[in-house]
Amino acid sequence: MTQHLLGTTGAREGAVGFLTDTTLCIGCKACEVACKQWNQLPADGLELLGRSYDNTGDLGATTWRHVAFVEQISDSQGRRPSDLKAFQSNWLMLSDVCKHCVNAGCMEACPTGAIIRTEFDTVLIQPDICNGCGYCVPACPFGVPDFNHHDGRVFKCTLCYDRLVDNLEPACAKACPTDSIRFGPIQDLMERAVERVESLKAQGVEGARIYGDRALGGTGGMDGLNALFVLTAPPEVYNLPATPRLPQRQTFRAFASTLAFALGLGLAAAIALRGER
Amino acid sequence: MKSYYGAPLIHKPHWQWLIIVYFFLGGLSSACYVIASIARLVGGQAGRPITRVGHYMALLTLIPSPVLLILDLGRPERFLNMLRVIKLRSPMSLGTWGLIVYGGFVTLSAAIQAAEDGLLHRFGWLARLLRALPAATLGALGTLPGFFVGGYTGVLLAATAVPLWAKNALLLGPLFLASALSSGAATITLVLALARGTSGATLRRLERLDVLALLCEFALLAAAYRNLGPIIGRPLRRGKQARLLRWGVLALGIALPLALQIKSFWPYAQISRLGALLASSLALLGGFALRYTIVMAGRNSADDPEATFVFTQKSE
Repeated sequence: MTQHLLGTTGAREGAVGFLTDTTLCIGCKACEVACKQWNQLPADGLELLGRSYDNTGDLGATTWRHVAFVEQISDSQGRRPSDLKAFQSNWLMLSDVCKHCVNAGCMEACPTGAIIRTEFDTVLIQPDICNGCGYCVPACPFGVPDFNHHDGRVFKCTLCYDRLVDNLEPACAKACPTDSIRFGPIQDLMERAVERVESLKAQGVEGARIYGDRALGGTGGMDGLNALFVLTAPPEVYNLPATPRLPQRQTFRAFASTLAFALGLGLAAAIALRGER
Repeated sequence: MKSYYGAPLIHKPHWQWLIIVYFFLGGLSSACYVIASIARLVGGQAGRPITRVGHYMALLTLIPSPVLLILDLGRPERFLNMLRVIKLRSPMSLGTWGLIVYGGFVTLSAAIQAAEDGLLHRFGWLARLLRALPAATLGALGTLPGFFVGGYTGVLLAATAVPLWAKNALLLGPLFLASALSSGAATITLVLALARGTSGATLRRLERLDVLALLCEFALLAAAYRNLGPIIGRPLRRGKQARLLRWGVLALGIALPLALQIKSFWPYAQISRLGALLASSLALLGGFALRYTIVMAGRNSADDPEATFVFTQKSE
């Protein structure tokens, strides 16, 4: 059904973004560190989460890259398998980031116009406008924008807007030692992703897929993501939604049903309240 | 289904008490206004006290609303940034503007009411001007922003990625509207039952209205609950919110007031003040409990990755 949408995106001409190829990620977290350094983000404290090598936990107001570690070594009963696939020893790593959606839920929700689409077609929260209403936080289908309770505003990845204007690639892509994170025009990145998935499948990685095209990840009115991923397992394994929807597609319908109901309720009220002059 | 160490997929909003109280008061105010305006149009003699109390209570309960909303902002001093833009697909942006328009109607209608009640006799020219305004027409026009303020909060929740809210996109607005109408009717009943000289005919009309609103609320709540299914509806099926829904909202907030007020449809039944007082207090508690439950259960649902997976799974 969604076959014809595979590898397609509604990204506008000249849009730039990321391609994060999880098959090349070695879990070094250089992207996390480079992001923190360039954007001068404070540390989140030292906590051991017991989630493999992931002690970062989640994308947040002060964490704009997050490397997820999935150990698919035991089966569902916790038994160690006798034969492991050679590929990646079934240890999956993914450097998660803001998806800079082609149609972004956070941006449509923002009541102050603080969230804008930049000249690079990235999604940016202007910190001098944001008043911390927090509506973009639940409006993101990927859980990216986060409320900073010390600061009172919401923050997320800027796709290093301040580097892009100086013709530099984002800090995470620059720091990635295996080029698992690539930066460039979306059309080029999508071509590369399609080739990569084909090549992986030819090598026997049947689960290889693109996340962020109009078939997977960039669904439901979002028309594609400007941060693409190459995955080797279902997106849920990496804590990504398979077919998320743009929340604001509901707005008009929801208002229409509310209005229709209001008319009925008004009529009922008139009947209940009517009386003689 | 296997999740990533059970970690939440989406982020929940920071909204808690301030927003819940606003949802309750804003809805209550809008319903008081709508009831007052309708009573002025069709209520006749028995509707006059309803119009009077409704217009005053609409203003009184609206006053804290913007304060609550501004206090909830991370940067309250920047609340005016809300007025930089108007975005038709953002219920919060529409709500800001709707609240302003509604505030104008509420203030004007309450001022006209005060002039008619002789409370503005010190400002003779102002009172004369206000009395000359077409109060019924203004009230009728104001029902539109009134209903908007009552229902947009449900749409605001629905237009998010939170499974428990978004799954019921078409029902949350009507549900909040019905619950607001019940709270509004209960507020006016409460004030009139405490006042001297309120006629049984007036109370009877308000009780009938509350019965209709509560029945709608119950039907919508049942439909929403069914529509959620076992996974997304988990916060409303087990735990604290489930108990609050069952006992606070359904039993105390809907069933008991219904039982106390249903006789108002019987033309010869006596309407007792004490019964009206009890029923309206319970309906108010129930209205607040509903807002609390829906907001808090939504926060729980945002923390449940499985709910998000079910909500966003592939439909192939």
